Amino acid sequence: MTVASFGDIRAIDPANVGDGLVPQILEALFAGLIDYDHDGNIVADLAERWITGDDGKTFRFFLRHGVRFHDGEELSADDVKRSVERALHPSAPNPYASYFEPIVGYEDFVAGKANELEGVQAEGRYVVTFRLKNPDVTFLPTLAMPVLRPVCKSAGHRYTDTWQPCGAGPFKLEPKGWEHGRQVTVVRHDGYFKPGLPYLDGVRFLFRVNQTSQRFRFTSGELDILADFLAPDLVKFQADPRWKPFGAYHAEHQIAGEAMNTEMAPFDNVEVRRAVAAAIDREQIRLVRAANLRVADQPVPPDVAGHDDSLRGQRFDYEAALEHMKRAGYPYDPVTKTGGYPHVIPYVVYKQGLAEFTAQVLAQQLARIGLRIEIRVVNYPTFLAIRGRRGQSAFGPGSWTQDYPEAQSFLEPLFHSKSIAGEDSNNWSYYKNLRLDALLDQAKRELDDRKRKAIYKEAQQIIIDDAPWAFTYYYRGYTQWQPYVRNYRVHPMWTHEMSRVWLDRAERPGGAR
Amino acid sequence: MIQKVLGRLAWAAFVVWATVSLTFLVNHALPSDPARMVAGAQARPEDVERIRRDLGLDQSMYVQYARFFRRLIHVGPHDVRADDSAHATCAAVLGPVHVDLGRSYQLRRPVVALIAERFPRTLLLAVAASLLQAVFGTLAGTIAASNKRTLKDHLAVLASLLGVSAPTFIIGLFLQWLVAYRLRLLPLDGYGETLAEHLACLVLPALTLGIFGAAYYTRLVRDEMIWQLGQDYVRTARAKGLSHLAVVVRHALRNAVAPIVTVLGLELGTLIGGAIVTEAIFRWPGLGSLSVNAMLDRDGPVIMGSVIVTSVSVVVMTIAVDLAYGFLDPRTLR
Repeated sequence: MTVASFGDIRAIDPANVGDGLVPQILEALFAGLIDYDHDGNIVADLAERWITGDDGKTFRFFLRHGVRFHDGEELSADDVKRSVERALHPSAPNPYASYFEPIVGYEDFVAGKANELEGVQAEGRYVVTFRLKNPDVTFLPTLAMPVLRPVCKSAGHRYTDTWQPCGAGPFKLEPKGWEHGRQVTVVRHDGYFKPGLPYLDGVRFLFRVNQTSQRFRFTSGELDILADFLAPDLVKFQADPRWKPFGAYHAEHQIAGEAMNTEMAPFDNVEVRRAVAAAIDREQIRLVRAANLRVADQPVPPDVAGHDDSLRGQRFDYEAALEHMKRAGYPYDPVTKTGGYPHVIPYVVYKQGLAEFTAQVLAQQLARIGLRIEIRVVNYPTFLAIRGRRGQSAFGPGSWTQDYPEAQSFLEPLFHSKSIAGEDSNNWSYYKNLRLDALLDQAKRELDDRKRKAIYKEAQQIIIDDAPWAFTYYYRGYTQWQPYVRNYRVHPMWTHEMSRVWLDRAERPGGAR
Repeated sequence: MIQKVLGRLAWAAFVVWATVSLTFLVNHALPSDPARMVAGAQARPEDVERIRRDLGLDQSMYVQYARFFRRLIHVGPHDVRADDSAHATCAAVLGPVHVDLGRSYQLRRPVVALIAERFPRTLLLAVAASLLQAVFGTLAGTIAASNKRTLKDHLAVLASLLGVSAPTFIIGLFLQWLVAYRLRLLPLDGYGETLAEHLACLVLPALTLGIFGAAYYTRLVRDEMIWQLGQDYVRTARAKGLSHLAVVVRHALRNAVAPIVTVLGLELGTLIGGAIVTEAIFRWPGLGSLSVNAMLDRDGPVIMGSVIVTSVSVVVMTIAVDLAYGFLDPRTLR
């Protein structure tokens, strides 16, 4: 099977998951103690089961017996502990290390004060125990990410750049299987612990293939799955009856909106923020790329636990927007076009993103309530630096994709006051609300799904009303596959999960039908 | 002559140093953070900070500048081993003399290894494209000039106008659609595995660059040849009874070639820096895509390596052109 992407990867190592594309390859090569299934549920994988104790502070994982790494060695509890310590050691360029801060002993280990991670212990050959400082609802969702997945003994105890990837996943990488900047080819791991799987002989991931070239390849049958589209191509595929049965949208787990800096004028005034949230006609913004966008009214996307359709979300209400401007002290008369905020507000956006286009719509909509914005287009690295630096940017686009399918993955980094930093702040609106902080902290410790959902509902309502962001759209990707690709489902976490996919070569490519 | 060459080399070294230093300063002055680009847009501040320390970006600019030039050319063991942490990112040239451009922040591989991998591919594309440009441009320009104000001339001018006006991405995508997708004569993109595949993959990107360049050369050669064909020595040659072909090729073209060589040399030097758009369309894994991605990711070591290769290529080609003048026109040596 061959898939392609416009982007590239820079490492194939659970300890260095820095790219959006690499999780699908890590999923193919490395099995975890637990994993996500096709419905986004956490399921046992290398561990046949686990038990939670000590009021949610201890997790004991019971490993399957006889699991083999790609090099033929049997996987043991010591391998799990070694892999965890390798990934969290400060010498590893691991951008997700701090997600495992709840583990006992994390601080000392990361600071180099301890040689081993106290909170992870092997108990015999087939049992691993994780101990947490406090009950933490994010632990299992983050553990199911690829970061701590067991790696072969050849990886050693510390990260190196030259290691040949080797795990216990359904596919393995051959010695020259990765041609940097071009492609990764994985082949079936015959010793995979799930009998009969995978069905495919191998998968070839091509990189840096532009969208036009991908379409050419796909329609001529050289590519089996297509997920990078130019906007007109996507509309054509969706309208073509030959292709329509073989396409599906991805789960919606990305929120986009307009981040307003609550420490800078005029957005230090909550009424101005509410005016912006009410002035945006989200349907007009959606039309910028109608095939991929859906109107958003709350921070947690629909396919993430914590999304709540019963919430009173943000919505377009022009009269209310004018009223909020009046309450803010900047009344605007749409007939005479006088009044409004007297200064032009810089709006910093980056090139080649969707926001470069939605900004044009936004500027026109805000002008109707007396807010004038000046769109300043910068490159992406500059945008990230400006946005994360306190006091630098009053207004700009924000977007966030789930790390794990739980509301906390959105609410804590974007709106908790502990996410405010002088540099590299993820709370781009520098929004601080003590009640919200308390709710998010409470939700993190609450293991009861029903109670946690109620907490998220209250937390989201605060955010919606205080409007540090005006939420605009949820982005949803689309994947098209050839008619001969069988058993394929878009995975909510990894996009492509190939262990149960097979090809029926008796069927012709869609372009030839 | 030797004095002239030495003087040129000293000047070239200064130009390369100045270019590299300026790039270093500009790269540091930009309001962006390479550590953030490594960690990703959603990484937490503490993870970004740890990666910044790991990459040595928490040091002052002066320390980083001194470290870069101290490591750039130094003496080390004859053999470079991957497990030798002190020299793992070096390339041994001339025995114990090492060149070290550091490790890519993003790709986490030695920059010298990345450049060594990509440079031959870029050189292949650059030379192929330059040859196409020179051969077709000179041919079309000469035919146009020696048939001034005839149908051949008008067609050559029109074709060159179209070629110069069409951006390379239009030419590239059109060739890709027609030759690779519709006619299926050549691969859509890529680099291939065998020599035959390399050459097959080379045709379309070289042709894309070649068409654009040939159009420019056609105009250049035509103008130069028209001027030369109006000179007294041409009239004398014709009066002596030489054939039209001999006059054009042996006399006029030989005199017209100097400015063409100048442009060709500089063009080749620039192309070695990478043909960014063409490489992107055809997925040609050369220096252009490497350097543009490095810029987008603020990958300092790769940016510095790419600038060094490009600036050295340009100054080397400039010196080569200067020296070539001496052979083409001995009067310039006086």
